Amino acid sequence: MKSGKTVNIETPAPNENKPEARDAMGRPVTQRKSEVRLGREVQARIGQQLRALYDDVVSEGVPQHIADLVRRLSEQDDGAA
Amino acid sequence: MRLDPAIRDQVLATVPSLRAFAISLCGNIDRADDLVQETLLRALAHIDSFRPGTNMPAWLFTILRNLFRSEYRKRRREVEDTDGRYAETLKSQPEQTGRVEFNEFRAALGKLPSDQREALILVGASGFSYEDTATICGCAVGTIKSRVNRARTRLADLLAIDSVDDFGPDRATRAVLAGGGRS
Repeated sequence: MKSGKTVNIETPAPNENKPEARDAMGRPVTQRKSEVRLGREVQARIGQQLRALYDDVVSEGVPQHIADLVRRLSEQDDGAA
Repeated sequence: MRLDPAIRDQVLATVPSLRAFAISLCGNIDRADDLVQETLLRALAHIDSFRPGTNMPAWLFTILRNLFRSEYRKRRREVEDTDGRYAETLKSQPEQTGRVEFNEFRAALGKLPSDQREALILVGASGFSYEDTATICGCAVGTIKSRVNRARTRLADLLAIDSVDDFGPDRATRAVLAGGGRS
């Protein structure tokens, strides 16, 4: 393994004295904002797929036999059933 | 007593969405239509217990879910588990959007625990509020929120979506538009 430069452990670069500014992978925490945004986009896609799936059925409307059933039931007198 | 035509129309207007929910529960279109019929018979026989002006869809969904639950308990041994079959059943729907991503989504949805899938569908597809969904499912609002969150997280994991491109946003959008018919 070759590193570009030798790091002197006893004299770290001044900026690295702020551990809260970097995440566990050493990336600046500002990158997390884009991860959060991606999460939202993923959830939006999931929502779209879910509705598309559901709407496949919804778009079939009311099947004739069910429409007939409701009309028949709604027009009969009490006790007729 | 004849049914108020306005009430009848509210019932009919709910049927398409009720069917979609029934299919998600039953994993079988024929059984779902039987369940919808049973629900309507039950609902119209007890229409006096519906208060006009309240939420007709939530009332019908609650009846349907309760019927499904009691029937499911009876049939548990023969039905075993509908979870894995949901994806398969949905493949018999017209493939307006017949695409790999869509089938992957169906399969992933089928892998969710049934209580999580139910909550996700009621909130994310049927369009019920968390409160109405909690009423329909007979549990606390917090429970529904938790189920929906877990369902979304699990779906994202199952689909291993790490790029927006993986999901074909334009296609998904077109699929939504093609579905139509929701109000």
